[in-house]
Formats: sequence, C-alpha cells, structure tokens
Amino acid sequence: MTRTRTVCPFCGCGCSFYLVSEGDRVKGIEPSPQNPVNRGMLCVKGWTAYEFIHSPDRLTVPLVRKQGALVESTWDEALKIVSTRLNDIRTKSGSSALAFLSSAKVTNEENFLFMKMARAAFGTNNVDHCARL
Amino acid sequence: MKKLAKSELKNLLKHWAGEYRVLAPTLGTQGDCLLDTFDEDSFTLDYKKTPLPPKSAFFPQSEAIFAVEKGEYREVISAKKTLLFGIRSCDMMGILQSASFMTRDRLDVYSEAKRDAATTVVLACPGPQNETCFCTTMQSGPVARKGFDLQFFDAGEFFIIQIGSGKGEAALSSFPLVDLDDDLADEKVEAFRQRSVGAIARVDSVPEAMNRLKDRTADEGVWEHLGQKCIQCGGCTFVCPTCTCFNVCDHPSGPGQGLRERSWDACLFGGFTREASGHNPRSTQALRLKRRHEHKLLDYHETDIQGGLCGCTGCGRCSDFCPVHIGTLEVARAIAESDNHAKD
Amino acid sequence: MVGLAAAFGSGAMTNSIGEFEDADLFLVTGSNTTAQHPLIGSRMINAVEKGAKLLLIDPREIPLARFAGLHLRQNIGTDVAVLNGMMNIIIEEGLLDREYVENRTEGFEALKALVGSYSPRVVEKISGIDRHDLEKAARMYAAADKAMIVYAMGITQHTTGTDNVKSCANLAMLTGHVGRPSTGVNPLRGQNNVQGACDMGALPNVFSGYQSVADAAARKKFEDAWGVSGLDDKPGLTIGAMMTAALRGEVRALYVMGENPMMSDPDSSHIEQALSSLDFLVVQDIFLSETAAKADVVLPAASFAERDGTYTNTERRVQLSRKAVSPPGLARPDWKIICEVSRLSGYPMDYGSTADIMKEINLLTPSYTGITYPRLETSHGLQWPCPNEEHPGTAYLHRDRFSKGRGTFLPCDFRPLAEPPDEEYDFLLTTGRIYFHFHTGTMTRRISTLAREAPEAKIEIHPEDAKQLGIRNNDMVEIASRRGSAKARAEVTTCVPKKVVFSTFHFHEFPINALTNPALDPSAKIPEYKGCAVKVRRCA
Ligand code: SF4
Ligand code: SF4
Ligand code: SF4
Ligand code: SF4
Repeated sequence: MTRTRTVCPFCGCGCSFYLVSEGDRVKGIEPSPQNPVNRGMLCVKGWTAYEFIHSPDRLTVPLVRKQGALVESTWDEALKIVSTRLNDIRTKSGSSALAFLSSAKVTNEENFLFMKMARAAFGTNNVDHCARL
Repeated sequence: MKKLAKSELKNLLKHWAGEYRVLAPTLGTQGDCLLDTFDEDSFTLDYKKTPLPPKSAFFPQSEAIFAVEKGEYREVISAKKTLLFGIRSCDMMGILQSASFMTRDRLDVYSEAKRDAATTVVLACPGPQNETCFCTTMQSGPVARKGFDLQFFDAGEFFIIQIGSGKGEAALSSFPLVDLDDDLADEKVEAFRQRSVGAIARVDSVPEAMNRLKDRTADEGVWEHLGQKCIQCGGCTFVCPTCTCFNVCDHPSGPGQGLRERSWDACLFGGFTREASGHNPRSTQALRLKRRHEHKLLDYHETDIQGGLCGCTGCGRCSDFCPVHIGTLEVARAIAESDNHAKD
Repeated sequence: MVGLAAAFGSGAMTNSIGEFEDADLFLVTGSNTTAQHPLIGSRMINAVEKGAKLLLIDPREIPLARFAGLHLRQNIGTDVAVLNGMMNIIIEEGLLDREYVENRTEGFEALKALVGSYSPRVVEKISGIDRHDLEKAARMYAAADKAMIVYAMGITQHTTGTDNVKSCANLAMLTGHVGRPSTGVNPLRGQNNVQGACDMGALPNVFSGYQSVADAAARKKFEDAWGVSGLDDKPGLTIGAMMTAALRGEVRALYVMGENPMMSDPDSSHIEQALSSLDFLVVQDIFLSETAAKADVVLPAASFAERDGTYTNTERRVQLSRKAVSPPGLARPDWKIICEVSRLSGYPMDYGSTADIMKEINLLTPSYTGITYPRLETSHGLQWPCPNEEHPGTAYLHRDRFSKGRGTFLPCDFRPLAEPPDEEYDFLLTTGRIYFHFHTGTMTRRISTLAREAPEAKIEIHPEDAKQLGIRNNDMVEIASRRGSAKARAEVTTCVPKKVVFSTFHFHEFPINALTNPALDPSAKIPEYKGCAVKVRRCA
C-alpha cells in the first residue's frame, strides 16, 4: 500500500487527501490531517473520489474520426492529424480561426502551457475556459 | 518479556521488512503522519492517531471480491504477510471488535485472510494522544489487554516487549534480544499502565449517555439538532475502527469481463436503507444519526465494557474528523446534559 | 471576477477558509454552500454554533437556512435592488464606516446618489422582501465587526452578474468590511482549479497573473521568454463568442481540453450547431464526453491521480498533487500532449517535468514567483500573492490598501431578468448543483455511492404550484423554454418559492442546458443560468 498526496478533483475548497493505492490501482482515500483547508475532513465526494479513476469508461487510446465514426488510432497518427489540421486552417484562415478551450479541472502547469501554445505556437488570444460558468 | 534498546528499533523494523510488508507510522514531507509502508527515513515515533484506523489493512476502502475474465469466474482473496507496527491499543480493540463481527454469522473470508496474515505490534500509549482520547472510559487502552501479537512499552532508553501470541514470538525469533526478568518487567509495565491511565481522564458523560439510551430517557431533540448539522460526509464511519458496513457493486468492463467490488458504506447516507420502492425506514438524518450512535453505545452497556466489548473503542476519531463536530464525545455530552426525559 | 477586480484590484476571494470559524457574521447569497462547498459550509455551521450570525439572501430554502438568523427570500434576479436597498438604509441611518470610506475608497458620492432611490418600499416592490426585514438585514451586517460576504454562482450566473458582484463589493466597502481577518468579500470557486485557470491566463485578455495582452511591456516580457515576436495585442474570444464565431464560420477549429461545453453551457442546441459547423474539433479528456463524441480527434488524458501538478483553490492556495498510479492504456497527462502538439506544429516546448513548467510560471508571474516546487513539497501549499521565495504567502487581501490603491465604489442600477416569465412561459427555471454530484456528472456519476444517493435529476416545484398542475411527488414532469425541453421527476418541496422550478445539470439524460438562456452578462460573459422563463406540465 502506498499513499500519495493529491488535491480533491471536485469543488474549489481544495481539500487535500492521500490516495491509497496498491500497484496501479487506487483503493481508497485518507484525508490529510494537517492540511489547513480540511484538517482531516472531507465531504462525501472527496471520500469517494477514488472510484471513477478506474472506470471502464475511461478513454485509453486516441480516437480518430474515419468515415464518420470515431475509431481507435495511435498517438502518432492522432497527433499528426491535430497539428496538420490546425496548421492548415491557420494558413488558410489565419490564427483567429483557431480557438482553444482550457479547463478548470486540469493543473496550473497545464493551463499555463495550453495558453502558451495558443498564444506562442498558434498566434491567437482565442483562449478561454469554463470558469465563468 | 524482552528488551530492545531504542537505537535498535529501526534495525528490527528493517529486519522485519525483509520478511513482511511492514506498515508503520510515517512522517510525510508536509508533516502528516500516516500508517504507511515502512521507510527508514520517514519512520517516526512522534505520531498521534492516524486518520484511518488499521482496519483499512484488513478491510480496505474498496476491494475486488471476485473477477470475471473471459467468462471465467474467479474469487479474489488477497492477503500479504503484513506486520503492523505502532498501532494504538484502542485500535487493537477495534481490530478485535470488527473481527468478532466479521466471523460471527458467517466467515468473511476476505478480511479474515488478511488478519491471518497479519502480525500486530501495539505501542502502548504513555498518555492521551490528543484531547479526544477516551480509551480509559471504554477500557480499550492505553495499554492493550488482549489480541496483540506484540506490545511495546517505552521505558526510556529501551522498549519492553510483551509477547502476546505465537505469531509475536515468531516475529522475534531471529532477532537478537535481551531477556528481561519477568517480575521486574511486570512491575515496570504496571507502573507504566498506572501512570498512563491516570493521565487519561474518564469521560463520565459516555456511560451516562449509554444508560440514558438504554432507559430511553435520552432527549430526542438531540438527534433533531444534530441531524440538521450533519453534512452526510460519511467520515465518522470511515474513520471508525469498529465500523464494518460495505456496499457491493459490479463493474462490468465488457462482455464476460468485470469485477465485483465491495466498498465502505455508511449508515449516515440516505441510500443505505432506502428500499427499492423508494420507501426509507430511516428517512431523516436525525434518525440515521440516532441509529449510528445507538449502534455504538446502546447495543452495549457499562458492564460489557469491562469485558472489552463495546461498539466504540474510545479512539475519538469521529470527534477529530467530523466536519461539524458530531463525534461520540459530543453526542454523549449532548445526551447526558439534556434535561428532557423523553417518553417511550 | 470582473466586478471584484474593478472594485478592489483583484477578483479573488479576499480571505482564507481557516478564517471562517472566527467571523461574527456571514452574509451568504447565491451560494448553497453545504452542497457546493461542503467544507466551507461546515465551517459556517460551526461558527454559527459558536455564536456567529448568518444572514442568508436566497430565494431557495437551502439547508443553511436552518442556521440563518434572518433569511431574505428575494425574487430571483433582484439581488442588486436588495443590496442597494441595504446600502441606502446604512447611509440613511449613519451606519457606514466614514473613516474607512474616506481613507480607503473613492466614488462614494456617486454611490450615495444612486442608492438613494432604493427606499425600503421600492425594494420591497421589486424583490418581495418585507421592508422591515431589509432594515434588520442592513443593521445586522453594518453592526457586525468581522463580517464575511460569501457568494457563488447564484450571484454571478445572471445577466447582471457583474453588477451583483459590484454591489457586494460596494456594501462591504461602505461598512469597512474588507481587509481584515475574517472580514471581506468571498467568491467561492466552483471547480477545483477555476482560480488557477484564471491565474494562469487561460483567458482571452490576459497572460498569467492577469497581465494584460494589451500591455506592451507584458507582451515584450512573454515574447522574450518564449522566443517569439508579435504576440497578439487584442483580446481574443470568450467561450460564448467562440461558439457564435464558429456558427458564422469565423472560427474553423476548436481545441478543447477537459471541458464539456455541450453539457455545461447554456442553450446546448446552439452549442451543438456551433461545434458541427467547425472544420476541425479536437477534444482531450478522460471520458468520451458529449463534446468528445462530436470530435474529429479524441486524445485520452490522465486523471488527477495519474499526473503531477498544482491546483489553486478558492482561497488562492496553490497545492501540489502527486502522481499515484499510471494512466490507463495509452492515456497521457495533458501537459505532455500539449508539448507534443506544439512540437509537431513547429513550436517545440521541452519540459522534463511539471516542476520545469512551474519554474517558467515563477519567472513570468509576479504573484506566483515564490511558489516553487521545493516549498510546496514541504508545506500545505502557499497562498498568492507570494512574490518571492522568502514570502510566507498571503492569507487575506487588501490589508492596508486595496490591490489597486483605493477601492472604487461602482454603483449599479437594478435591471430586470433578461427573460422574465410571461403568460405562456409562466415559471422561472433556476439551476444549480446538488451535494452528491459535481459539474456535468462525468466523474461523480461513476462513483457508486454517489450514484446511489442521487441516481437521477429532480425538478423541484412548490406544493401549491404542484397542486394546481396536478403534479405529485415523483411524477414525470416536462419543463420547456423557448429553446428546448427536458423531462425529470418532480420533487414537491417548499424549498423553492412559488412559480419557480429548480434543477441541476449533472445528468446527461436531463440536459437542462437545452433550456437555459445564453444571454450573457455584458462584461463577465457569464450566461444567465439562474433564471429563464419556462412552462411546466405533468407528463401523461
Ligand atoms: S472533499 Fe468535498 S469539500 Fe473538499 S474539495 Fe472535495 S468536493 Fe470540495
Ligand atoms: S484513545 Fe487511548 S489508546 Fe487510543 S490513542 Fe488515545 S490514548 Fe492511545
Ligand atoms: S465511535 Fe468514534 S470514538 Fe468510538 S470507536 Fe468509532 S470513531 Fe472511535
Ligand atoms: S462525520 Fe459528521 S457530518 Fe459526516 S456523516 Fe458523520 S456525523 Fe455527519
């Protein structure tokens, strides 16, 4: 059993807990007793936050639309399509034809890189996230 | 009894780590102390009570109980040879309590396999670990009376080791230890126990509340008030060393593939007793709280405690970790202090 | 956020979660705190038990109402009138903090002139709140020493959301209730990293740390650091504008990371059309969301348990979260995917770890400069602003002066709902969250305990309305707006006022955002989720 410190993926309180895992499987939660936000307490969502991680519905392979349907693909193919299509559209219609939607569920580092990519790699300020919501 | 120089403790743990999966108090870089896999650098003796009791080693928050793979059914009983070092005596009582439940009507093979494979090492408490400890009231501590494989007493420069079982004896067999004169050891242990018991105040409101619940003279208004506060987090149940309720859930992952898992449940959730018709015999949070606390306090009473038998070990975790302070201590106080004697 | 930033110079929560238990009074409005932010709600309950007062301004009888000393149930969408009315009483009765207004704020005269017309009688007419109650509320708030205003989406998700926020700020400044421990204005962020997404510049008009794209010096700094030139100096499109531009063919490609606008955004048929008119849609997520199902390429991402990184909670605390297990199958952490896309697109980004990315954030973001991995590793997080490595972080904002210098009163007039009920659509629909689920439910509905506790959407309706429409508890009910309709079971309860129905957006089978109004607040661009006209009927 291993305990790894994480932050609750749900509301903005930011409660801190340890994921209790065995091998590559998370089996439960142990709240951080010293964290000033939650002091060893959690709400029911935090206490059960381990369960969706191993949902069989998780996406595990890149998918690419072919003849109208999403089919399993490889990273090489999927990433190549993404970069080629974004660049083509940029060349044809300009940077302002691209838009980027970031997320209030991913990390600071990821939000930072995403907006950096929009601005520095693709030359557009069309970047937003659902925080207003 | 045996004697171990304090400076040798880490060596003993390292020795054990070669043979067992050792779970021991571990200090994280942020200052949290949890019962985690032994690691020489983060091991600590300066710890209080961990949020999760050791029950999670026998009865984890979730575990697969059977798997279906390519249409084939396979029961999953997992047990690793484990040594739990540094559990508190209240938690030792919790292990015994849950084991008595898990073996009562039918054998719970999943948790019993893990208990069979486990060696428990209690570190007796020299005094209360924080302000919510009430083991002396429930007679579960600060020194374990039974159930342990080994029990350590802090005697200054060294530990006195009490051997409680063959498993305990086996755990010490290949490590060089000094024998201690039994009379002398008994004397020291008794002195330790008396000092420690003296340092942990008895909480009179707990037996008082138990009696009132039994005589049905507890004020029902207490539950109403507490029910309004409860945020239904389940925390009091999850951290309780004697709570053993679980829910079973299937997770199909494709045709002929899937897992059946059980996971901790709590009687504080509405869905715990909701029937298929939608009817719920415990329809309000007040009733659910009443039910939980009756289970902890009413189903046993003062004389049972003498025999080390109660739904509550006095570990105080529910008071430590309830976000709105509805722990056994607070509930007992509210019942004991309430004037209204409700009628039947 | 926009409203608070304009008044104070920072849009973030002014206080810390730890300060809640020491407050004397909470003014809670537009926040069903025990459901949406349970561990803040619990602190308020504890404070009330210790003697603090709770002043609740909410049309619904939310669980916190049991602890309220006074509960004002205003008509939906009349918050500005109520707050102006309170300020009017405070000024009339001389309950304002003159010294504070004088020394720390500007624009008082304009505020005084505007709120002067919001007499208790006028406000009673608009909001339905008894004028004596309004007076009590005003006095309660003004008299408290340590008073915290607490609000969430119930305040911001209106076409007048920015005005609502400004009015809260006005009220707090008028009584000197900003800039001390347990005293301030506290917007509660809905998702675990809303604050961080904003801080990191995932916004069309600012880089990280709210540095404006229009500011030449800021652009220069980022251009130098990123080795590019000519960064765009005009703000880009907001999410709503992106959808409209997509419909018009101006936006041709959309890259969505970890969001599900098909479920979370108002008027989902409009969103669906917008997404369908794109040439290219790529979605990166952990589940095949409704939005991902429409994508041309779907990239499997890691969940919180499978990646390293930091999150910033609602009290501005940046905390480090560590990877516990490997992602399933071929899934990858978002940051690695971004680096790959960028590299293949001709702009290489090389980071060995998230710690490397944080170093760049430290360098370019003044409020995060002192927030480094080694410090986060050995602490329970740091609250920004944290300008250097010795700085302990900031528990509460605007201590001796506001972030922008003087706080500015920004008086606002009451404006009615964008879509009031009429004869045909005679109910108001208001949406929100329930305790057992989160956001669009993609995660929480896959948790067995939560799915059991709240298996399906419910439409809350008042018993008198239910009786009139022949609706009993658990009957199937259809609600319809001008944009769409949806069906769910009724929950007959006095928690909602008459002529109001309440429901949630957690359940994809009950896509409530097919009904909601995309009318936006003009400055914050937040849609009006909290009030649109609907009709209600019992299904045969
Ligand atoms: S545990 Fe509950 S209160 Fe804490 S962050 Fe998670 S959802 Fe919010
Ligand atoms: S309750 Fe007693 S045995 Fe348990 S930790 Fe406290 S002092 Fe030790
Ligand atoms: S009821 Fe509370 S004090 Fe008693 S054993 Fe359970 S957690 Fe410990
Ligand atoms: S810990 Fe407290 S709030 Fe949570 S379920 Fe138990 S009594 Fe209720």
